[in-house]
Amino acid sequence: MFKRSSVLIGVIAMLATLLAACGSSTPAAPAGQAPAAETQAPAAAENVTLKVLIHQNPPMVDFMNTFNEQFQAKYPNITVDMAVVNANDLSTVTQTRLTANDVDVVDMFGFANAAQPYMKNVTAPNWQTLIDAGLLMDISDQPFIKNYDDAAIKDAGTYNGKVYQVNLGRVSYSGIYYNKDLFTANNVAVPTTWSELVAACATFKAANIPCMTAGGKDGWPIFVGAYGLIGAEYPDQAQLVEGLWTGSATWNDAKSLDMWTKMKTYAQDMMETGASGIAGDAAPGRFASGAVAMFPGGTWYASAIDAAQPSFKWGYIPFPGSDNADENKYLFGKYDQGWVVAGKTANKDAAMKYLTEFSDPANYQAFANAVGFIPTQPGATLSSPIGAEVAPYLANFRVGYEQYWVAPKGAGEFANPYASYFKPFGTFDDPQALADKVQADLQSGLDANK
Amino acid sequence: MNNYHFGRGRARLAPYLLLLPGFLFYLVIMLGPSVATGVYSFTDASGIQGTALHWIGFENYREFLFMGQASLDNYAALVRTLIFCFCVTTIQFTLGLVLAMLVNQRLKGVNIFRTIFFMPVILGAVIQGLIWSLFLYPLGGPLASLLGLFGMRSEFLGGQPNEAIAWVIFVQIWANLGVTMMIFIAGLQTIPGDLYEGAQIDGASPWQVFRNITWPLLTPNVNTNLLLNIIGSLQAWQLFLVLLGYRNGTQVLGYLIFAQGFGQTSGSVTSAFRQGYAAAASIVLFCLVLVIGLPVQYFLQRREEKILG
Repeated sequence: MFKRSSVLIGVIAMLATLLAACGSSTPAAPAGQAPAAETQAPAAAENVTLKVLIHQNPPMVDFMNTFNEQFQAKYPNITVDMAVVNANDLSTVTQTRLTANDVDVVDMFGFANAAQPYMKNVTAPNWQTLIDAGLLMDISDQPFIKNYDDAAIKDAGTYNGKVYQVNLGRVSYSGIYYNKDLFTANNVAVPTTWSELVAACATFKAANIPCMTAGGKDGWPIFVGAYGLIGAEYPDQAQLVEGLWTGSATWNDAKSLDMWTKMKTYAQDMMETGASGIAGDAAPGRFASGAVAMFPGGTWYASAIDAAQPSFKWGYIPFPGSDNADENKYLFGKYDQGWVVAGKTANKDAAMKYLTEFSDPANYQAFANAVGFIPTQPGATLSSPIGAEVAPYLANFRVGYEQYWVAPKGAGEFANPYASYFKPFGTFDDPQALADKVQADLQSGLDANK
Repeated sequence: MNNYHFGRGRARLAPYLLLLPGFLFYLVIMLGPSVATGVYSFTDASGIQGTALHWIGFENYREFLFMGQASLDNYAALVRTLIFCFCVTTIQFTLGLVLAMLVNQRLKGVNIFRTIFFMPVILGAVIQGLIWSLFLYPLGGPLASLLGLFGMRSEFLGGQPNEAIAWVIFVQIWANLGVTMMIFIAGLQTIPGDLYEGAQIDGASPWQVFRNITWPLLTPNVNTNLLLNIIGSLQAWQLFLVLLGYRNGTQVLGYLIFAQGFGQTSGSVTSAFRQGYAAAASIVLFCLVLVIGLPVQYFLQRREEKILG
């Protein structure tokens, strides 16, 4: 009898353990219905833990740690629990934690890659799906929205007429960092045209100094570094994307072929030997070591260069992709980090306090100074070294191709204007062959969706 | 005589009830997601809770297998997967067997070598990838410096796609060789020593001993290792992610599924989560594993029955 009872008790205990392990710690709200806590903002004195998610960007993380301390001092009942993830993992972690209702405030890149009327059969971008699923909160009526410029709110944070994100800054990725000491020592003038850039590289190579470095192992830094070459041929990148979809522009016409030819020079003659093995986050350190003359890359690298070698003297210029200096005065870029609030947060009041505090002009200015973003608050100024470098070109800031581009389904893997397709980063050597391959891969997708 | 240990009547249910938690666990953790993947493959699922799910029939399969150049790229990834599988399985199997026989000798300090060979297994894919990324750094990394002494150089992981894949094969083997070796060691230790003594007395050569005693009696371990290596390498993706990232000409099916499902097709372009499409690709991979795994298992079982009875 005792044996039987023991067995049954044991079985029941195991089942209970299994069910408990499979169950949720909190009862889930029915689909489409907010959890009960959502409607009840915590009372002022109630202790709240505000969960914040950001991506890895050392100066931003440093700033956020300081800001969180200040915020907690001002609101002692709110504890900020901030998690930092790698930029590549941000979208996955965001989705997981929003779905699990395990986060309140999230750092999200500016809304981009939206489907346009001329695009057929494309998948909605991730941010749009999150909004449609009710996972991001409509913050249109929040007073801090007014602190940001209208264009940033409209371009990077609005969907169907409602605001879901305050974007915190633009970044440029079509520039080149240059080593001032090496330029002076080798008597090289800062290049303003493609020919001058080619000549500058020839001078450095003759002096046994590698001309450029970049994080070639990650692939995309090579593409990003050559952005000025796309920009020189196609200053209006939204129009370029529409042209590619509608057939009025192709990747193998005479204009594009000029771009591919220059990209070959960039990838094979300008980049240092071994750049294909350098990881993206190691490239700023390599440049800051003083061994290389130039480093094509985004404005976000400035703080990493300074951190690696504080006394290092560098400058930043738009990539001169054209032989007409006037066509090289544009900076292409994107809307970078922004704040969104979880649609089902139980801590709406604390989340809004957090964003209100962050959006305070003084705090925002400190943030812009720390990370080097081109500000999205009208009153903020660019006081950082990179700010001073890009200031002359701000009137010519343009949103880049990759922010508009959505590939048609069925397009091949080469349907993009990437310099990394050339050897040694890729397998191509002939600009014409690559141009034809890229266009064929794109056309294949366009034809499949006719 | 009643050999049943759980009594009579309702008590006879006890073993089934005891099995139930394990079965439920298997159902929830293994079978459930597998079936769900099959169902999702016929939808436009994004994996985001709250989004509408639409039944789109075989559209994901059509896109994966027949739509434009992308489908041809998928076939190329499939071929790459098979090449990767063949290289990893043959080399890992052979090396594992050789190492097992070496460290199965009664020599002083042999346990240290067993530990060294097995150590990579306990590291996660991220750590394994990080170690080799540093070791293979082309600008002054240890191996680059070594090659430099002989006037040679290589881009290693950043080199041409075939070279990069070769390095992933190497790291995959390094990371999993310990398991293959341990399974062989377990088998070697079950072979009775008197068989070897008898063979020695009869004057058998080392090759004859291996061919007629060791190899036949290792049959169950050979089968286990072959199946584990084949299935493991067909499903590999983590090391591709950590060592290479998304690079044209290097993707295998496992990584393609991850990249599509979690929007990581490019480091600079924000992509959509296409988990319905990724589920269809998973089913294709599952079919591939099945098509290769089942005949291999059938053949190996027949062989085992023939040898061991």
